[in-house]
Amino acid sequence: MQDAVLAMLAKEPSHGYHLRARLRQSLGLLGESMNPGQVYVTLARLERAGLVVCERADGLPDRPERKVYALTPAGQERVTAWLAEVSWPKPDLAEFHLKLIAAAAARLADPIELVAAQRRELLRRLAETQRAALAEPAGSRAVLLLEGIVLRLQADLRWLEACERAWSGAAGKTGDEGEPGGRDDDEAEGA
Amino acid sequence: MKVSSAVLRARGLVKQHGHGQGRVRAVDEVDLEVPEGQTLAVMGPSGCGKSTLLHLLGGLERPSAGEVWLAGRRVDTLSERALARLRRRSVGFVFQAFHLMEELSAAENVELPALLAGFSRREARRRAGFLLEQVGLTGRARHLPSQLSGGQRQRVAIARALANEPLVILADEPTGNLDSTATLDVLRIFEELRAAGQTLVMVTHDERVAATADRLISMRDGMFVDDTRLAGDATGWLGGLIGLEG
Amino acid sequence: MGRVVLIFRLVLADVRRHRAQAAMLLLAVTAATATVALGMSLGGASDALYEQTRAATAGPDVVVYAPEMGTPVAPVLNELTRAPGVVGHNGPFRLVFATLTSRGFASLVVVHGAAEKPGAVDRPLVTSGHWVRPGGAVLERGFATALGARVGDRVTISGRTYPVVGIAVTAANSIFPWSSGIGPYGGPSDGGGLVWLTHSDVKALASRDLPLAMAVDLKLSDPAAARAFLDAHRDPSIRVNFATAQFIAEQDSVMLRDSQPILIIGGWLLSFLAVTGVAALAAGRTAEQTRRAGLLKAVGATPGLIAAVLLTEYLVLALLADALGLTVARLVEPAVASPTASRIGNVVGPSGGVIVAATALAVAVAVLSSLRPTLLALRTATVDALTVTAHRPRHRPLLTALSALLPTPLLLGLRLTARRPGRAVLHGCSTAGALITIDALLTFHVQPRWGYAQHRGGWGAGLSGLSNLRDDQNGKLLLSITVMAIVLALVNAITITWSTAMEARANMAVARTLGATPGQITAGLSVAQVLPALPGAVAGVFLGIGLYLTVGRATTLPILSMAGAAISVVLVTAALTAVPARVAARRPVAQALSAEAA
Repeated sequence: MQDAVLAMLAKEPSHGYHLRARLRQSLGLLGESMNPGQVYVTLARLERAGLVVCERADGLPDRPERKVYALTPAGQERVTAWLAEVSWPKPDLAEFHLKLIAAAAARLADPIELVAAQRRELLRRLAETQRAALAEPAGSRAVLLLEGIVLRLQADLRWLEACERAWSGAAGKTGDEGEPGGRDDDEAEGA
Repeated sequence: MKVSSAVLRARGLVKQHGHGQGRVRAVDEVDLEVPEGQTLAVMGPSGCGKSTLLHLLGGLERPSAGEVWLAGRRVDTLSERALARLRRRSVGFVFQAFHLMEELSAAENVELPALLAGFSRREARRRAGFLLEQVGLTGRARHLPSQLSGGQRQRVAIARALANEPLVILADEPTGNLDSTATLDVLRIFEELRAAGQTLVMVTHDERVAATADRLISMRDGMFVDDTRLAGDATGWLGGLIGLEG
Repeated sequence: MGRVVLIFRLVLADVRRHRAQAAMLLLAVTAATATVALGMSLGGASDALYEQTRAATAGPDVVVYAPEMGTPVAPVLNELTRAPGVVGHNGPFRLVFATLTSRGFASLVVVHGAAEKPGAVDRPLVTSGHWVRPGGAVLERGFATALGARVGDRVTISGRTYPVVGIAVTAANSIFPWSSGIGPYGGPSDGGGLVWLTHSDVKALASRDLPLAMAVDLKLSDPAAARAFLDAHRDPSIRVNFATAQFIAEQDSVMLRDSQPILIIGGWLLSFLAVTGVAALAAGRTAEQTRRAGLLKAVGATPGLIAAVLLTEYLVLALLADALGLTVARLVEPAVASPTASRIGNVVGPSGGVIVAATALAVAVAVLSSLRPTLLALRTATVDALTVTAHRPRHRPLLTALSALLPTPLLLGLRLTARRPGRAVLHGCSTAGALITIDALLTFHVQPRWGYAQHRGGWGAGLSGLSNLRDDQNGKLLLSITVMAIVLALVNAITITWSTAMEARANMAVARTLGATPGQITAGLSVAQVLPALPGAVAGVFLGIGLYLTVGRATTLPILSMAGAAISVVLVTAALTAVPARVAARRPVAQALSAEAA
């Protein structure tokens, strides 16, 4: 998140409270839960690292906030590098995958139950996110962020579905490759 | 069990298609209670029997076995005629394909249920005006369905479903034909209905749509495999998602 | 060549898929062409039969009648046999105006004195029994048939009983009941049968104070100069009536004078019904045809080919029906063209002109009823045609607003009617067509009529006159046309209701999810059919009245029965349409809905 704060200073030097307001606006509901002090902690760290400088502005006497933060050339460089970066959060599914295998192997728990519990949890998360998206005012940028979260959750749910299918299929079969195309055959098995 | 507050109740519900070897149970021994004011989503892959379940609950199809109760009245034994009368006042349908009458304007479509229920033309018109405003289509009242976008059509269909203040709204893949923006529009309306205490049952294969409900039932091969409460216990997970330290 | 094969393959596939519709087109066009062809053939048929009978019986060119009222007329007639240009004669012979009774029937007759061995002119053809002999009577065949008399029967002529020894036909007299040629005392004839007795038997009969006349049959050297012969020998001093062969043949055709307009107007009405029915069918299939045209276009067919496929289907069926209709006309013609048995010979069958006219009619029906769908299919762009689910009905705010004030079945019915105004018009036309024919039949039956060959004072107790063959014939023809018209109108009504029900089933299913009962849906569909049938029925009554007053020369109109018929037709429409409507309304809602979504 340090990079994001740095990048927000690239436009112009800014007060800490101003930065915080911009962050909250971009994040929507997610920004609401942000600790007020977090921005200042981050700015202090950046200052220590020599990436930003703090200039004392001659503020009005009734405004306690008089610090204006600006990028140093090193900070500028770091922003440029950050923008060019293509790293992406890794999908961390291996842990759950191994959990299922271990549970099945040791007969510690029913993998299908584990999948179901996980699914319920993800659905609750999805519900929360979807509600947050619906609560955003029209035209809010934050909706886009929430959309991304929703889509990832959906992808995870699909994967859980595949897990469920695979584990409820042949007992000895491991691996997360469900039978593709199984969806439409479901009703034939009803009788 | 004493008098239940369930608006909609099903017991041992079975719907069979075909005979003999080709016999398929679209709905297989399903029990269900929907309390008043609850929004329930039934989710499952296509062919799992969720649409059939909805048709059974709304009296559009008759069950092979089991009972359906609506507002304390058993409906699966009613005659077609009595069923129609019940539907008129108590059930509002929303379909994936909208099913608007193409030759009628948006307002005329919304007026239709009230006219069928025997309200005066003036009352029907008043309701249609109010409902179209609710779904944000006041300016489109005189448009024909063909002149409206998919999302707008579905909003007209929702307004039509609400025309007689039904006890329960039954929605069959309400966003199945819509893009994401239109889906959000429809979900927002559902959210308002939920807040207003409208009982709503929808079937969908879209997790996002299902996630807006209070309760989610997962269906496979005609049976319920999971029943989860979604509302009320917020995980707080979303708030923790953003950390500036990192 | 390949293209022709393709067209026929497509046509055949489509016909095979829509057999009931093809059958309906076939039925309707066959009925129409058969009726029109029959009507048009009748004109020549009567003449042809006369000519054949004349050839077989050595018919005279001129028959001269003279009433015997004191002055002897035989010399005048004898003199005529010696006139220039006369190459042969029969007679003069005596005529006695008498009455004949047989088994409870009575008829006026004219008795001819005949030689036991006929001469060169007028040799009646004995069709059963043998020729006159003393004490035995020969009856003219048309008369015998009307009377139901056979050889061996006994008939009483003005008090004297004779056995019937033979039955014969002649070309010297018009067909029954116009066989008498001249009335008693030279007055107008009331018609009557023809009986031959020997000269001596006639002489005996003549002594009973019955009206008498003399007649002579003449053969001219130039039959075409009969008219000139007449003009040259008119004698103002003595009452003499001339009947040329042409006059006799013309009198024959009076029998068919009303049959022809009945058949031709009836044929037009049937064609009209065929067009409405087939057009309704074609309109019901427009969406499908349009999609088919789109498909063909998408694979590279030219508009010409598409038009050819669409039109060929209707044309092929119509031409097949045309052939069937002409065959039916040919088979029925003998019975219709010769309602009496007074003539022999065969009818010639539809002439070239008749065939051309009937074929033109069939083609017109095919083109008229398929033109609109064909044009529509051609005009619609390929992509639209492929995606079109149904022709989109127009918005009718006024009707919708009006119907909102009505009870549910009327509301649904009115809106259904408004969806397809063209079909409503077709239905109205079809109803009107049926009512015109029904009312024609009703009007026909209340006309005052009297039988020919009847005694003016009545026959007295225990005797009844012979029925009026001409009216019988007209009644039968009207009845058949009415039955055909009713059948076509019924088929039309069912077709139209069924296509309306099929087309509206999605909408009606939606209405049911909104709480309309199956009963309301059924009633709504019925109302949608009754609404156009009602004005159609009223129009039918008025058009019919106009037709009977002008063409039919009706003097009495059964207004009450007409109104009754109109009401019944509307009620029958309602009842009839309730069946397909009920079937459609009974289908489970969910099924109808998913059918539309698919």
